[in-house]
Amino acid sequence: MSSIKEKFNQISPSEFFYSNRDLAGFSNPTRSLYTAVREFVENSLDACDQKGILPDVYLTIKAVEPDKPDPKPYILTVKDNGPGVDAKHIPLAFGTVLYGSKFGLKQARGVFGLGATMAILYGQITTNKPVLVKSCADGQTQNQFEILLDIQKNKPVIVKHNTKEASKKGLSVSICLEGDYSKAGNKIRDYVYETSLITPYATITFDDPKGQKFHHPRFVKDMPSPPTIVRPHPHGVDVERIRRMIVESQFEIPAIDDTMIEKVRKDLGLSKQNLSFTAIMTKAKKKWKNLSRQVRVVIALLSFLKMDFEKLSKIRIEDLDVPNKKLHYWDFGDSQSKTVDMDPESQYYKQLTNTVQGEPLTTFLTKRFQRIGPTTAVKFAEFAGFKPEKRMGTLTNQELVNLSDSLQKFEDFMTPDSSCLAPLGESPLEKGIQKFFNPDFKAVVQRLASAYSGFPFIVEMGIAYGGDIKSGGPHVYRYANRIPLLYDEGSDVVLKVVNDTDWGRYKVKGDPPFIIVSHICSTRIPYKTAGKENVADRQEIERELRLALQFLSRKLAAFMSKRGQAEMAKKRANLYAKYIPMIAEFCTELAGKKKEPNYKKILEELEPVEVKTETKQVEEEKPIESK
Amino acid sequence: MKASEKKAKEISKKAKEKQKTILESLKNHGAKIYEDLENGQFPKFSIPSRSVSNIVYDKKLRQYILGNSSALRSAKNSAQLRSFTQLMWLAFFANRLTQEKKSSTLRDVYYSSQAFAIEFDDQSESDNIIVDLEAVTSRPREDFHIFPEERSSIFGDLNIEYTIPGYEGKTMNLSNHPDGYSIGPSLTTAELIDTSAEIVIAIEKGGLFTRFVEEQVDKKFKSIIINTGGQAPRSTRTLLKRLHDEMGLPVIILTDGDVYGEHIAMVIKSGSANAAHLRELTVPDAKWVGVWATDIEKYKLPTIPMTESDIKRCYDLQKDPRYESGIWKKELEVFLRLKRKAELEAFAKYGLTNITDKYLPQKLELAKSL
Repeated sequence: MSSIKEKFNQISPSEFFYSNRDLAGFSNPTRSLYTAVREFVENSLDACDQKGILPDVYLTIKAVEPDKPDPKPYILTVKDNGPGVDAKHIPLAFGTVLYGSKFGLKQARGVFGLGATMAILYGQITTNKPVLVKSCADGQTQNQFEILLDIQKNKPVIVKHNTKEASKKGLSVSICLEGDYSKAGNKIRDYVYETSLITPYATITFDDPKGQKFHHPRFVKDMPSPPTIVRPHPHGVDVERIRRMIVESQFEIPAIDDTMIEKVRKDLGLSKQNLSFTAIMTKAKKKWKNLSRQVRVVIALLSFLKMDFEKLSKIRIEDLDVPNKKLHYWDFGDSQSKTVDMDPESQYYKQLTNTVQGEPLTTFLTKRFQRIGPTTAVKFAEFAGFKPEKRMGTLTNQELVNLSDSLQKFEDFMTPDSSCLAPLGESPLEKGIQKFFNPDFKAVVQRLASAYSGFPFIVEMGIAYGGDIKSGGPHVYRYANRIPLLYDEGSDVVLKVVNDTDWGRYKVKGDPPFIIVSHICSTRIPYKTAGKENVADRQEIERELRLALQFLSRKLAAFMSKRGQAEMAKKRANLYAKYIPMIAEFCTELAGKKKEPNYKKILEELEPVEVKTETKQVEEEKPIESK
Repeated sequence: MKASEKKAKEISKKAKEKQKTILESLKNHGAKIYEDLENGQFPKFSIPSRSVSNIVYDKKLRQYILGNSSALRSAKNSAQLRSFTQLMWLAFFANRLTQEKKSSTLRDVYYSSQAFAIEFDDQSESDNIIVDLEAVTSRPREDFHIFPEERSSIFGDLNIEYTIPGYEGKTMNLSNHPDGYSIGPSLTTAELIDTSAEIVIAIEKGGLFTRFVEEQVDKKFKSIIINTGGQAPRSTRTLLKRLHDEMGLPVIILTDGDVYGEHIAMVIKSGSANAAHLRELTVPDAKWVGVWATDIEKYKLPTIPMTESDIKRCYDLQKDPRYESGIWKKELEVFLRLKRKAELEAFAKYGLTNITDKYLPQKLELAKSL
């Protein structure tokens, strides 16, 4: 099993991405410039979110030679007031393509490092310039690095490094890349604009290559509560994921070299003493509770080898044959392989098998997954046809596949934990809509958490009508994990739901000035492509979107009909103002009077009533659904 | 001439009184609206409902009348506001017409409205408002000096005296001009003085009217001849009624031998559902003498086949209570059996004067027993 991990690390991710950069959104100069902006801005926002810092993000794009026609090299700089990156991590963080944290799940804009390094990589291959990183993590010293990527080795090459004094924490990343701002400009400006709508607690400034400044100050002071990291849900894992989790749960037999022996002696308090085997074991038994796992394993081996430290330093463990209860080792003294039997009744035997074979299935389930208790674990083992005490390290490939299938099929798991999600919240969303559109009507809703394939998600939605909104709606603003989605909207599930709606039923007709803001939060957004631009139509997500939209549309319909009534009242008032004087005129002559009757009283009673927009929303009660 | 002078005085007094009541009625309606407005209330009035469900046949009156249900028209109801104003304008306009003794056609009304910024989408809308005024006041539009365009004509020994401005007191004998006199506002409002005629013959067609004048039917049969020009206009029906009521003349009706002819006679006799709100337009004693369906067979008249709409009309009329008995019922049945119809001109088969020489005398004789 342990070989799997090594195999993975041997692939150079840099090289993989280099040859597959289209997948990550770096297909052409236009798209690449836009994607690079996104990656760095999102990293900055993520970093600030994680530390609870109200983000100030400063984005600059400058042409290296402004007079050259597009596409041409641009210098893209994103500066933030986040926590910065420790100097010792900078070369690795910005000079290699890394794996992020794999087993912890929480909502974030991106898995840190992947997209940004991709942008750095793209910059380097198009302009051959290093990335410039300025980071201050302690509020005192700023580290400046110029780094190139060694693509084949996936290793950073530090071109330059110096330090200087600083007063504020923060990170600034600057790359030179080939881009096409004349084509990407619109999208980038939209991106910045729309990002500030869904990140109302951030101040985002953008200096564009043409000298224009786009400044979006924060208008909400509170940040949404940060998400917690949770373990995976059993419905959300596949064979590969389980395999890696098993690797994590297992321990290798430590190499028993001089350093290890020294450590064991020290932990047993025997640094200066050379005790016999029996004396060592007695001592170890006494101290057992305080010993580390590694030391325990060494002691357990020792119990079968029946050696003292002197002897132990002259052998090398070759294999631990659990099924045959044999321990093979190489004796340097005799230069030959030797074998000892292991007593399965011994407590030390259990220690060793645990180490090599991993945890029992039930322990694995309860410890490594979210929301599985011992009872469910046992029930699941029965369902899947495994013994509850089955060692995870002893699963064959086929058993692994069976286990994975069963995890998907078993229906008694609890719904995914949604504490790992960080929706924006109704109030900030509503404030954003108010500030951006100054509408006549607005309504927002946050649905309760739901789940698809073991991944929890929450849908937030807002709707607004009139005011500063352009006609020709509905205009749909799509967000996923606080990222605006600007490309490929045609195939998006949100658009599908919106287009399926018969707006006439909600009294929205013609060319309405009307927007919809949709935000899907999830530990994993089911994007249709790696470019992260459109969300696939997962049935569960579609359903939540539909319910949210219906809820808001009903509010809109109520507003529209009130507004219709108000318009009607106004029209009516106009009618009266037009006709009543005529009636008065005619009846005066008919009745043979000289003076017209005083009809003003009637007209005054008819002043139209203003419509008030309702802003308070109440979400209907709804239990969390199971898959 | 003393007697006739006295009568003329009486006549003009009567006409003035009638005008006074009309104006009084309009004034009363106007005053009520004025009062409502003055009191800060939305003006309203009730109007007999003219919906089909409220049109009933009155056997005593022998005509269609409106039932008891009425609708409230209020200026508060924005949907009615426009028509309310239109009606107020019309009353106002009718008031002026009546006071100034000026006449106006339905079309004139439609165009006159535009001088007052009263919008009528088309003439049928203004016509409809005129019917509303009739319903509210229970008076025909002619009382307000509003007349339809269509004209029918009259010929015979009848002395009349005009009441219209400029002709007041002027008299006329209606046998002086062989083309007949067209029945317009001046004739409808004229006073009927005296006649030597003993019967009124209403005839559907202008062609036959001319023949009757040529053949001196007025003299031969001591009659007044009236051309209804198809379905008799209101003014003609009013005149027929007055000839019957005021001069004591019986009225007989000659129409084409088809279902439409039968109904022309019926409308003169007992009105139309469209005018159920008016009661001054019928001559219940009028007699339809032909051409009957049975005449087609009896006189072996040349015929033309009935169209589908003719046949449908027969079935429609069978549902009308007035066609439930007598010749009305019988003739409808025969038409339906024959599925053929004959025009008045069909008698020309036997010579141009056959109708006046043979057919008319027989029918006049028959009418006595009807």
